[in-house]
Amino acid sequence: MLHNTPWPKSLTPKRFDQTATVSGRLIHCGGLGLLALLVGVGFVASLALGSVAIPPLEVVTVLLGGQASNPVWGDIIWQFRLPRALTAAAAGAALAISGVQLQALFRNPLAGPSVLGINAGASLGAALVVLTGSAAGYGFSGWWSQLSLAGAASLGAALAMGLVMLVAQRVRSSLALLIFGLMLGYTTTALVTILLHFSTIEQTVAYISWTFGSFAGVTWQQMPVLLPVIGLGLAFSLLFWRSLNLLLLGDEQAQSLGLSMGLVRLYLIFSASLLAGTVTAFCGPIAFLGVAVPHLGRSLFRTLDHRLLLPASALLGALLALVADAVAQLPGSQTILPLNAVTALIGAPILIWLMLKQFRLF
Amino acid sequence: MDQRKVQASGSAGGRFWPPADFRFRRRLGKVKPAQLGLGLALAGLVVTGCQGSPPTAPLDPSAESTAEGCAAPFDPAVDYFPDKVELDYATGFTVDYHNHYKVVTITDPWPGASQSFEYLLVQCGAPVPTGYDQAQVVTIPVERVVALSTTHLPHFDQLDRVDALVGVGQFDPISSPRVRAKIDRGELAEFSSGASLDGERLLVAAPDLVMTFSMGNDNDPYLRLIQAGVPVAFVAEYREASPLARAEWLKFTALLVNQEALAEAQFAAIAQEYNALVALAQTAAARPTVFTGSSYEGTWHMAQGESYAAQLLRDAAADYLWADVPGTGSIPLDIEAVYGRAAQADFWVNLSQDWQTQADAIAADPRYGQFQALQQNRAYNNNARVNPSGGNDFWESGPVNPHRVLADLIAIFHSELLPDHELIYYQPLLP
Repeated sequence: MLHNTPWPKSLTPKRFDQTATVSGRLIHCGGLGLLALLVGVGFVASLALGSVAIPPLEVVTVLLGGQASNPVWGDIIWQFRLPRALTAAAAGAALAISGVQLQALFRNPLAGPSVLGINAGASLGAALVVLTGSAAGYGFSGWWSQLSLAGAASLGAALAMGLVMLVAQRVRSSLALLIFGLMLGYTTTALVTILLHFSTIEQTVAYISWTFGSFAGVTWQQMPVLLPVIGLGLAFSLLFWRSLNLLLLGDEQAQSLGLSMGLVRLYLIFSASLLAGTVTAFCGPIAFLGVAVPHLGRSLFRTLDHRLLLPASALLGALLALVADAVAQLPGSQTILPLNAVTALIGAPILIWLMLKQFRLF
Repeated sequence: MDQRKVQASGSAGGRFWPPADFRFRRRLGKVKPAQLGLGLALAGLVVTGCQGSPPTAPLDPSAESTAEGCAAPFDPAVDYFPDKVELDYATGFTVDYHNHYKVVTITDPWPGASQSFEYLLVQCGAPVPTGYDQAQVVTIPVERVVALSTTHLPHFDQLDRVDALVGVGQFDPISSPRVRAKIDRGELAEFSSGASLDGERLLVAAPDLVMTFSMGNDNDPYLRLIQAGVPVAFVAEYREASPLARAEWLKFTALLVNQEALAEAQFAAIAQEYNALVALAQTAAARPTVFTGSSYEGTWHMAQGESYAAQLLRDAAADYLWADVPGTGSIPLDIEAVYGRAAQADFWVNLSQDWQTQADAIAADPRYGQFQALQQNRAYNNNARVNPSGGNDFWESGPVNPHRVLADLIAIFHSELLPDHELIYYQPLLP
């Protein structure tokens, strides 16, 4: 449950001026550079690690365009690992940015992509396909049902987003909007429950494994949709750092400083929904990253300045997603773990530790 | 194969999942409004079309219940069951014959079961023996049975006792022609709605016996049915990993309808043919490599090495690439791991039920096109007998006809051994 939790004192906008000093900026640039490096390392590592053991030298050969001594290895790297790693990095960054935007919009540290009902909308779309589609085995052949899973989830997310934006135009209070998003989530969840009730066990299992989340289901065929949408979303989000900073001062103060609240709010809802909805459509509802990564960013960089927080969160999100995905693959074994379980199991302890440290509790 | 193919699977395709062995059983519980509408319309057509025909037999079978062999007058010295079953393969149930009753125990009703279920099958007209307080009492031969899984239906068909069925889970997935004819005549009722059982209507119908399977949950509706006095048989044939053991559960149903002689003869013929086919397959010059299943969102559920599917593949003299994985269910694999081991495999069987062509597979995930088995037209799907509602006969009549399934597989892997065999359950994935 989400409450209108006030920001902790230690997270007040006073910290903005840290970036004002030259040395502070240098430190932060260094931090971002280090993070980018880590993301790069994580990316390469996820290409090198997997269920099939491929010697590192062979991985390098394949990546440089050469031929591996076993042709299957080349396929594995190009067709399986590269799309998965790209998806993980893009999805992690997208979810993190979506979280940053929503936490700023609602001034609520518990906000995340799930609060607007976007995930629930996508889930309803997916449930409609998985639980009712392709009854006869004929008529709807594989490509239709596969495409429509991502398609239907996107549509569900878009519809939920449209509803929230419609309400956002009429309701001024962010809190009311938050409650609306939550209620929308409950409603769609209820519909999914009814669908589940009338489904067979194997359909139910199929739906539930969709909710586990996975970066491995995305193929090159889907990249032309996934990457541009996320790329554009990320690029635009970086342009709006100033508005996000002003939002932290409160609606009224932000308005008095010249911020067009209505516009900014619509933009943020649109951007956050688009990012989270796209990821959910292709990878399933990955809940944890969106809420947690912004906190990681704030803790590690000790800042609330969104000019820094946005890129930092994007990088952290990508890194965490890559690491979680690598762990979920259980390198060396041929079996796998559910991604959603791994993101939370890895992310939650890190976050708790950082928080405790920040509040000097140990 | 061991993992039950998804019936009417949606985008899940013919996905597999871990506690695979009983997936197929829920296919009786599937509701699709569109299908329901279609079914009703069809039923309407059939009813209209049959209006000219004479009225069908009355539904109430009690009128004929005093038929063959009822113990009236009862004589304790008479052995009412001169024909007895002997179990050679099945390990999930036992039977103990007495003069006028049989004590049947289902020893492994569900995965991880800590209890067994005892059934006291008492010949009609004979007194119920004492000393079996825990047993469910069933008067035999049963006349009014509700069979909730499609896998139970072929038993009644083979034992010529389809007349004893009064209800099923759901109509849509059923393939058996004789059961379908009964549906068309309006002689069967449906008792499942989606994944849930209509327990109230089942209580009102008060059948002699409900045949089903259970996950063993404490809130299982079947336990309440038993408490309410409706005997429930937890038919656990799917727990048997050996194809012949699974088929031998025909004898379990035979115990209920007193058709032991017929069941013994039929199963003996099946086992003989199956074993002959196994011997034939062993003469094959080479053992082609094979893998099963398909992936869902990057997770590939592969039959484990001791599963039903794996045993059939082994008996068909194929080299199953995951034969080394212990267990009788399935294991979730990384799609990359499957590609790593099976990219060059000779054959690929038991794909997603939705796929008819290679294009279907490639559209679902282009990476399927990289498998050599697909490129060389050696992908075979077990969906040749899918009915218009999506029910797959492979999971209905397949388990009682393991010799036919095995013949299909041998013909696929070693066409020279069975040159004249026409595939029954399998069909190649069309280029």
